Amino acid sequence: MKRLEVRNMTKTYDEGSSTITALNNVSMEVDAGEIVAIIGPSGSGKSTLLSAVGALLQPSSGSVIVNGKKIETLKEKELAKFRLNEIGFILQTSNLIPYLNVLDQLLLVKKMAGKVSSADQQFAKQLLADLGLEKKLKKFPNELSGGERQRVAIARAFMNDSSVILADEPTASLDSKRAFEVVQLISNEVKKRKKAAIMVTHDERMLTYCDRVYRMEDGVLTLQS
Amino acid sequence: MFLALKEIKHAKLRYSMITMIIVLIAWLTFILSGLGNGLSTLSAASIKNLDAHYLVYEEGSGSKFSKSLISASLKEKIDAQSEVEDSALFGSAMAAVSKKGIDEKTDIALLGIEPGSFIEPKVIEGKKLDKNIQNGVLANKTLQDKGYAIGDEIKVDSSTIVLKIVGFVENETYNHLPVLFSTVEQWRAYQFAAPGANNGIEDVVNAIAIQAPNLDAENFSEKIGGIETATKSQAINGMPGYMEENGTIVMMLVFLVAISAFVIAVFFYVLTIQKTQQFGVMKAIGAKNSFITKAIVSQVFVISLVGILVGVVLTYLTALVFPEDMPFNLDPTLVVLYGFALLLISVLSSFVCVRQVSKVDPLTALGRVE
Repeated sequence: MKRLEVRNMTKTYDEGSSTITALNNVSMEVDAGEIVAIIGPSGSGKSTLLSAVGALLQPSSGSVIVNGKKIETLKEKELAKFRLNEIGFILQTSNLIPYLNVLDQLLLVKKMAGKVSSADQQFAKQLLADLGLEKKLKKFPNELSGGERQRVAIARAFMNDSSVILADEPTASLDSKRAFEVVQLISNEVKKRKKAAIMVTHDERMLTYCDRVYRMEDGVLTLQS
Repeated sequence: MFLALKEIKHAKLRYSMITMIIVLIAWLTFILSGLGNGLSTLSAASIKNLDAHYLVYEEGSGSKFSKSLISASLKEKIDAQSEVEDSALFGSAMAAVSKKGIDEKTDIALLGIEPGSFIEPKVIEGKKLDKNIQNGVLANKTLQDKGYAIGDEIKVDSSTIVLKIVGFVENETYNHLPVLFSTVEQWRAYQFAAPGANNGIEDVVNAIAIQAPNLDAENFSEKIGGIETATKSQAINGMPGYMEENGTIVMMLVFLVAISAFVIAVFFYVLTIQKTQQFGVMKAIGAKNSFITKAIVSQVFVISLVGILVGVVLTYLTALVFPEDMPFNLDPTLVVLYGFALLLISVLSSFVCVRQVSKVDPLTALGRVE
């Protein structure tokens, strides 16, 4: 059993009288410890796929299977829980909570699940140290550089020890040096912590860190290498 | 609470401004309630202080002392009723008094009561009323500030009557005026000096206060005949201007509270809308609606609580600098009551925002920079 499977997923939108097919019979698999990239032009359906895998969007047909469990069978409330426990989202730099310091950004994830234990505190500090942020624990997002913010977002995604890591353009708005660092960090953490990761990116230079590369074009996903 | 407090700490200016609005609203509410309370005390304190359950008036007087004239002889008939435990005569008049050495005349209310009856107020200085000192009066303490003292002989305007202060009482005002309590006979001598002013009723009084916890007022009025029976609160509402004054203040308070509910709701609504993106992010990383709801409501609660407490402190500080004779009377029970009402209203108004939160789509978190 693979960690993450997408089976024959199709997503269509009605726009006026015409129907737009954002995802056309997409299938893919990612195993634990693997990081795969999805590249493709804007509007090709990459984000739609990521949203569907992250349980933010209901596909028109097909399934997402995480650890053998089909997520379309989950109810609204269970979906929030599923996102909390099984999915780690690495969002773009702007998506940290502006009034929480670096450590609290991570602890927030635990707060959502209930109480924060001292083991959680230790784990958060460990994660941040892994990502070279041990000196920035009490900094707020506006006091960090773009690269540092993105590393906090990465740490946050790993905080809930989820099965799947989804990265949405993690290198957007970073210069190439920082971009390489960030992707390398994601890749390292994915391997070390045995996660199944999907990274949506525009930036073809980042693909060396990925195990496989899929190309998305007009809703059709093809394996590239 | 975690998010709520962290956010307040981070955006001190924004939240202190919102708190300031709540402080001002609370402040105004408490001051208005103090004024309302002060005015109603001034208007009818002596009636509120009566240790009576009911008051008996002349039929057709509409529970107003000024329109009611009944004979004191009714007292016997009233006392004979089994429900009645005790009764006491009561008369009221407006007058102006002066004494030698004081230029200005002072407006007072002259209330006639029977010495030793249950409606005689507690004397805080000097002696009680005495049947044998016919011109003895108990004066409200505020007259001390105007230069009156025990033993003073005071002249009643438009008459030849000279009264003598035998004691002081406190918190006794009637129709916005300080009260002089005299014997019923002395009161009659002033009020009905003109022949025929008593409508030809012998031993006339304005009303009879009765102590009767289980009285059927309508039945009772019919049994005695020629009277109407009002509860004490009806009697207070019958005081001239009492309802109008109270109504004005209550209307202002109701409007204030309603407006503040809107203002607070709008402020938090705008704040919430500004944070739509953040809530989207939180939902994307797994926050349930209830988690965000708790954060918002607890934040509103903390801000309102602080605002209201500061408002209370400010109110008590302002009360210190108000002029002495301003009718301002803060009732701690009312302060607590209005404080809770404001708190409840702000928390309820925050639920408008909560509805907004449940509508936030976590997909907004994937909004692109490119």
